[in-house]
Amino acid sequence: MTLLESFKMALDAIRANKMRSFLTMLGNIIGIAAVIAILAIGNGATTRITGTFNDLGATTVSLSVSNNASNDEQITDQDLQAIKNTDDRVTAISPNYTLSGFAAASGDEKTALIFGGSPDLQRTSNVMDPSLVSGRYFTQADYDESAPVAVISADGAKSLFNNQTNIVGKMMTLRSRTTSISVRIIGVTKSTADKFQGAVRRNSFPVYVAIPYSTMKLVSINAGGITDVTIKARSRNDITAVSQNTVRLLETRHDVVGQQLYTARNYLSALDQVDNVLTLFVEFIAAVAAIALVVGGIGVMNIMLVSVTERTREIGTRKALGATTRDIMIQFLTEAVILSLIGGIIGLMLGIIVAESVAAALAITATITWQAIVLVLVFASAVGIFFGIYPARKAAKLNPIEALRYE
Amino acid sequence: MSLISLTHIVKTYRTGDETLHVLKDVNLTVNTGEFLAIMGPSGSGKSTMMNIMGLLDNFDAGVYTLNNQDVTHLNENQRAHVRNKEIGFVFQSFNLMPRMTLLENVALPMVYAGIGRGERKDRAADALTQVGLGDRVDHQPNEISGGQMQRVAIARAIVNRPAVIMADEPTGNLDSHTSLEIVRIFQELNAAGTTIVMVTHEPDIAQYAKRIVSFRDGIVQKDEPVANPPQLFSQEVSS
Repeated sequence: MTLLESFKMALDAIRANKMRSFLTMLGNIIGIAAVIAILAIGNGATTRITGTFNDLGATTVSLSVSNNASNDEQITDQDLQAIKNTDDRVTAISPNYTLSGFAAASGDEKTALIFGGSPDLQRTSNVMDPSLVSGRYFTQADYDESAPVAVISADGAKSLFNNQTNIVGKMMTLRSRTTSISVRIIGVTKSTADKFQGAVRRNSFPVYVAIPYSTMKLVSINAGGITDVTIKARSRNDITAVSQNTVRLLETRHDVVGQQLYTARNYLSALDQVDNVLTLFVEFIAAVAAIALVVGGIGVMNIMLVSVTERTREIGTRKALGATTRDIMIQFLTEAVILSLIGGIIGLMLGIIVAESVAAALAITATITWQAIVLVLVFASAVGIFFGIYPARKAAKLNPIEALRYE
Repeated sequence: MSLISLTHIVKTYRTGDETLHVLKDVNLTVNTGEFLAIMGPSGSGKSTMMNIMGLLDNFDAGVYTLNNQDVTHLNENQRAHVRNKEIGFVFQSFNLMPRMTLLENVALPMVYAGIGRGERKDRAADALTQVGLGDRVDHQPNEISGGQMQRVAIARAIVNRPAVIMADEPTGNLDSHTSLEIVRIFQELNAAGTTIVMVTHEPDIAQYAKRIVSFRDGIVQKDEPVANPPQLFSQEVSS
């Protein structure tokens, strides 16, 4: 008997008991759908979170000063210059100060996030796009003079100036809760929303403005000595060394070695942690799904045992007509494997549908790999074989006379 | 020439402390072209004899030669092959596969013989025509009568061109009119050269065979030819 014959026989037998076969498959359907959906969503989430971390600066080191630091121990412009000059892994360094304030031009006042920094802010900012649409960024000269100049994001400019183009050179007012200053717009950066496409709702962005930190001191009474600094390293691999170097250099310059007044943070450890949590989550669900598959397999075995008992006379007849032990074995094993495999395929499709729907709702991309599909189908077949062997052997070993006599 | 030769066959069953001697040194020879009826009350050993002849059961002592082959010591798989090739079974309760068409049912022994799909289809259709069901190939067993089912079973029995047909109470589930129809087909097949061994407990049916062997208490009690068995078919139709 060929495999094709046993395949056809198995399909006939499954079709003869549609409801029962479907219920038997349900275990596999649920198990496999869960595996596929969780793997796809988990992969998608990992990609998305990793991507977000990269956007936020996988090459960024955040430097901060302890509250216990005295005035002498605050970070100075000279410190920043020294760090940049002594470590060629540092590509940009800027004070990092954010003011939640307001901006107004001709029309209504709008909520604004105002960033204060050095000219390097153009490259250290994790929020504003570094590319200029028009005009220029502020320079060291602007910084040294506390010049009343500002760079604004394109989408912010649009909302402040009612869709006017060509706003370089125009004036606007920046206001904190206590003070306001008038600044001249010298440059417009690319729209900020584009950078975070999909991550945050588009319309929720405030106006983004970048000004020299020296100018920031004019509008915000809290801005004084530099307490927060953002450093951009050459590559992700340099992050750890740059962090250590910078802290050591500051401690030496301020003669406070070992007092832990300066802290350098980066996202690497956070990224690793997120990776670990996600991996653990996927593994956990996979284990639960594996249990579901084993339970499904037991269901297959159960129904195959019932089937063997029901078809005892059929088995006896087949043996009388010349079926060998192997023929009967293969027939029932094929049936068990097909039962598992059909369940697996339905589960696969269901899993893809679930993954796509969930992914659409979470605004991520479900990642279904070929390896996952193959793994699932191989696993389903393996479950069929493993749990089908016992019933199939039982069928094959039936004594033909007793089987023929069975009522 | 002897097609089936069973010499000194002994078969005992042990149930607990009791030993049941089912067959006590039985000798039986069946020649090619014979139509043999095996009779006897229940417990006489006739069914056990049939199962042994059909290579479905073992025996404790003796020698069995079938179609010039010593089949005494075959293992289960070898016996399956011999059953497939040399023996056509007809059972009391037809034993058709309920979900298969008549054609697929008749083709089943050829599946196990490894015969290709096309040839299976042709030969199964021929066999069904031979038993008068050539127009029902695509029907399912539950769409036809008991007599027709037994005819399908006969078609299945002859489709692999076996050396012998073994029928175990083939008319046991049929009314007397339909029973005679089945016997008529056996007589036709026998007239065309097929050897037939039929177990029955009905003398009315056995009288159509050419020879009757009677079992009692595990031995052959009587073995005699039937003088001029009545013919249920006209020679012209069969030829």
